[in-house]
Amino acid sequence: MELIVALGLIVFKVAFLIAILLLLPLPLTWLERKIAGHIQQRMGPMRVGWHGLLQPVADGIKLLTKEDHIPAEADRFLFKLAPILALAPPFVVFVAIPFGETVSVLGAEITLYVSNMNVALLFVFAVIGIEVYGVIFGGWAANSKYAVLGSLRTCAQMISYEIPMGFAVIGVVMLAQSMSLLEIVRAQADVWNIVYQPVGFFVFFVAGLAEAQRIPFDLAEAEGDLGAGFHTEYSGIRFAFFMVSEYAIMLLVSVLVVILFFGGWNGVLLPLPPILWFVLKVAFFVYVFIWFRFTFPRYRYDQLMAIGWKVLLPLSMANIIITGVLLGATAAP
Amino acid sequence: MSHAGDKVGTWIGWAFFADLANALALTFGYMFSRSVTMQYPDKEKWLPYARYRGHHFLKRDDEGEIKCVACELCAKICPCDCIEVIPYEDEKGNRHPAKFEIDTARCLFCGLCEDACPADAIALGQQYEFSSFSSRDLVIGRDDLLGKPGKATTGGAVVAARLNTEHDVLVETSELQGYNWWRNIRRT
Repeated sequence: MELIVALGLIVFKVAFLIAILLLLPLPLTWLERKIAGHIQQRMGPMRVGWHGLLQPVADGIKLLTKEDHIPAEADRFLFKLAPILALAPPFVVFVAIPFGETVSVLGAEITLYVSNMNVALLFVFAVIGIEVYGVIFGGWAANSKYAVLGSLRTCAQMISYEIPMGFAVIGVVMLAQSMSLLEIVRAQADVWNIVYQPVGFFVFFVAGLAEAQRIPFDLAEAEGDLGAGFHTEYSGIRFAFFMVSEYAIMLLVSVLVVILFFGGWNGVLLPLPPILWFVLKVAFFVYVFIWFRFTFPRYRYDQLMAIGWKVLLPLSMANIIITGVLLGATAAP
Repeated sequence: MSHAGDKVGTWIGWAFFADLANALALTFGYMFSRSVTMQYPDKEKWLPYARYRGHHFLKRDDEGEIKCVACELCAKICPCDCIEVIPYEDEKGNRHPAKFEIDTARCLFCGLCEDACPADAIALGQQYEFSSFSSRDLVIGRDDLLGKPGKATTGGAVVAARLNTEHDVLVETSELQGYNWWRNIRRT
């Protein structure tokens, strides 16, 4: 009986998480278009629903009913596999992400995470690394030069930026003495990691922008020079898969930034409920992502590589060494 | 000295992404600026300036008689040959058009007919919404031309409007007090 309740709870949590992740791109696309519009002195979508609120629903219906086109020369198996490979990892990663400690519902304490892994951080990086296969397969299988060029760029970019991203996190792990995201947040109860790890945050955030393939690092789908990069040949619901995956990764990077550097659900000054603090911080970083997109131009490819290897990697290395020295110096006596 | 100081300042600025921060501040400011979008045809409509050359109209004189004397100068000067005038003589001996047709599908709205007219009878007015599903409907006859709206008087403004799907005319203005659209654009 105990086991069934526990299993049911996990199934419920996972279903809830999937529902949220699948539905969240709807308000996010609306928000992105609205913010884009207002930054460019336009209004954005206005005609479907109040201030265009139902526009993403209309777009979703349009994508669902469009022809699912597969190019004649495409590798059909890989072409169909790629969107799933792109979509699944961001969803899997959220299993390891805690959204809070516990809430009591009807007298029972329910934890706000699906699983508390002791190597959650490693799990996150390992699984998110799989996402690049979706992009590479998608570009390769379409048998189109734009798509191949886009996926080649993505491949190099993702691999280059995963290294500084992983190194940037090591400082946080050293401070918390744990790789469990729950422990990392608990370690920040008094002082957030951003105070101790500003360089780590900078490296992680820039690398996260590149991982999420957002401007200024959206070379994979640079509309101007590549059509749409790896998903040039995709249409209909398969294209929607890539879009959802993109938004899920953007959300994931925001969540990771908040958990690792901005104290997770620990609040300051205002005694808001922890989950609200968490949502507010994540929303802020999602806004920053969108804000960046409509402010900065795209980096050139060699600049992208130079930033990854010549700036971020040495910075993250130096960050580890300095953090280690300072930790050793304070813990010596 | 000051030059070197500038250089150091530039480097410090680069190290702390002063230019990126400036860009972010600029776009953030623009996010709260007034939008320049004109919500046509849902809410607003642009009234053109008085010199705008829209749909043609024929004028009447003080007695209500059509001003046109059917001299056919407009038909002669028309560069795309889209005006057809057939005159007749009424009982008082005055020349008037029995038929006055403009093919607006071919018209290029140059306004030469307005300039050529010796009787000040034809002019290009403010109306610009006359799309049609058939090019035949775009041939406008004498009586229709007499009823078309004249030159704009409150030109250069946005007026409240709403979509009217019951009539052929898409937009029906409900008030003439417009605000000056250009003045409201934020300049920084």
